[in-house]
Amino acid sequence: MTRNAMIDEWYPVGLAGQLDTHGRQTALMGEPIGVRLGADGNAKVTGSNGRALPVCIRYGHVWSSLGDPQKALFAIPEADQPGRRLVDVGVVRVRCSPLRAVENFLDIAHFPFVHTDILGAEPHTEVPNYKVEIREDEDEVWATQVKFYQPQAAKSAEGGITTEYMYRVPAPTCSILYKTCPPRPGEWDVITLFVQPLAEDLCDVWPWMALFDDETSMADLIHFQQTIFLQDRSILENQIPRLLPLDPGMEIPTRADLTSVAYRRWLKRHGYIYGAQLVAQ
Amino acid sequence: MPAQTPAGPIALWRSRSGRAAAFADRCPHRGMRLSHGFVRGETLSCIYHGWSYAQAGNCLRIPAHPGLTPPETIGVATQPVEDSGGIIWISVGEPTARPPRFDGLAPLRSMMVEAGIAALEAAAGTKADGGLLDCAQNAQALRLLLSPQGKARTLMHVLVDEGTGPAKRIAASRAAETLRRKAEDILRSEVAQ
Amino acid sequence: MKLYDYVLSPSCYKARLMAALTGVKLDIRPVDFHPGAEHRGPELMALNPAGSIPILEDGDLILTESSAMLVYLAAKAAPQWLGNDTALQAARVQQWLSFSHRLTGSLGAARLHEMLLRPGDIATLQWQGMAALRELEAGLVEQHIRGQRFLASDRPTIADVACFPYVALAPDGGVSLDPYPSIRLWSRAIRSLEGFIEMPGIHRLHELKPEPVLDAGEA
Ligand SMILES: N[C@@H](CCC(=O)N[C@@H](CS)C(=O)NCC(=O)O)C(=O)O
Ligand code: FES
Ligand SMILES: [Fe+2]
Repeated sequence: MTRNAMIDEWYPVGLAGQLDTHGRQTALMGEPIGVRLGADGNAKVTGSNGRALPVCIRYGHVWSSLGDPQKALFAIPEADQPGRRLVDVGVVRVRCSPLRAVENFLDIAHFPFVHTDILGAEPHTEVPNYKVEIREDEDEVWATQVKFYQPQAAKSAEGGITTEYMYRVPAPTCSILYKTCPPRPGEWDVITLFVQPLAEDLCDVWPWMALFDDETSMADLIHFQQTIFLQDRSILENQIPRLLPLDPGMEIPTRADLTSVAYRRWLKRHGYIYGAQLVAQ
Repeated sequence: MPAQTPAGPIALWRSRSGRAAAFADRCPHRGMRLSHGFVRGETLSCIYHGWSYAQAGNCLRIPAHPGLTPPETIGVATQPVEDSGGIIWISVGEPTARPPRFDGLAPLRSMMVEAGIAALEAAAGTKADGGLLDCAQNAQALRLLLSPQGKARTLMHVLVDEGTGPAKRIAASRAAETLRRKAEDILRSEVAQ
Repeated sequence: MKLYDYVLSPSCYKARLMAALTGVKLDIRPVDFHPGAEHRGPELMALNPAGSIPILEDGDLILTESSAMLVYLAAKAAPQWLGNDTALQAARVQQWLSFSHRLTGSLGAARLHEMLLRPGDIATLQWQGMAALRELEAGLVEQHIRGQRFLASDRPTIADVACFPYVALAPDGGVSLDPYPSIRLWSRAIRSLEGFIEMPGIHRLHELKPEPVLDAGEA
């Protein structure tokens, strides 16, 4: 078997704000790991044989890796911008491939049917053309100029608006979306999906946000995002197969799916296939 | 609604005008189960992105591209359906005969048994004949139409005589529950040995 | 009336749904149940020492059991939902109200385990959940034979609202609803009621609306 190309990536393994000395037992790609607060006040992550795994704390989460990360965790410059509320949404487990969870996050065509009257509503189902590229310098997938009509785009939005999005995939199981921010024209709200692969067909999803919104209570912001994600969860647990098919004959994309097409191509190119199905069965 | 056939899971649905159809339970777009979808008029739509399909399985509409006529190559596999005497029959491949008729009988309910036909036969103390099991349970005559769902599960349709009154129908439903419990207990004690 | 509420809680949803169906306006106070465990904090423990939500507050009255909230909302705004026309009906309502707590302990606990990583013996919880669903299915079959579409009557009552949420969300906890045709029909009947509202995990019945068309010029 060839080496798993995703082994050297960073993955979220816990909320930094909830670490305690007791710790939590979890897993990364099939290997049981422990995450706890050490006596020195730093986060410790240990693998199944007791070996110490790399650790970093960023964007509200503890990150670790089973391998030897060659790069620092991807940058989200907006996270350090003054005036943003940082929202730890908390973990949700989903019985699906970590790659399917990311792909769903990149998709807008489902809004009217799955997030009805919040992120979309019939008859406003059309997905206008947008731009997709694999940025070679950063080695990231980007979709820009994605526009969609939304009845209630954010907790801070009143009434329907056409929202603009940008999507970014900086790591195989993480995605960041930027969306127009109703109270601050010219700025983008940042919403992320950080996915911890437990197994090829099981993941813990850690949504996180950095928003300009001084009005809404923290609990309300969390509830809004959990609502959206739980609507997706019931889809994700009912897609067949559980793994993400990389065989082009297996599923039929349209122009609205160009982000997903680029994401799949990028995964394949890098051999990021943990959670993927290469040949139709 | 979802159902199982020897050829795999299907989405079984009835159109507005009353016609039943059976689709492979997987949307060709992104793999969502079509049994979670919704019926408008004569079409079934997928809950994920709303692609809608005619009874023949061909895709009629892709909401993300309202101006586009979907290519004819997009469609889902269908299976022949017969709606006969209150029972829906699915055929795997082209049917060579009409489904059997059960004159004088009316379907009461369908239930899933977590046991194979052998355990049901043992619980009933009698053998099934052509998928039909006649037995007595709780002093109640039961006619059961059995459809195997793999080795260890059986879909059991309970039939009663036409014209049976409510009290006897309720009794038949309870008797079928008893039989299911017995069959599953038999399976459990076999596994325990 | 103030409801201490968590969007993902099927028990809170019972109160929200009842209020929506009977036209009562609730003042919603969102509680950071997950990840913040605010329901275990001093403010909410003072209201409800059991450390659970929902909590319904109306003047001096504090209710911490969803079944009691259903009774209160129905009695105030729409007494026909109480289902106490006859001795038989009243008893059936109580039977299913009590039963609904078994759904919370089985299907609800399985869901918390599978979704929010709460501890629990998942195989046992799922097995108990399946047993409860079979009981409900059998009850609905019998009601159907009696010519009644809902649990206690041909009209919906608080019994239906008490049982619906955990049942509809059973798949969240890894318990399939596929084997229960009568539950499917009952669930559709509830979701088609005037004033019905959803919660995450229960999708809109899009078939209730005809296929909408875009007017020319409105894009
Ligand atoms: N809270 C977000 C919802 C975002 C979210 O996490 N949803 C994903 C998963 S489907 C997505 O693609 N969202 C697009 C969006 O946020 O509008 C919002 O403000 O709209
Ligand atoms: S998966 Fe069915 S429409 Fe997209
Ligand atoms: Fe979504």
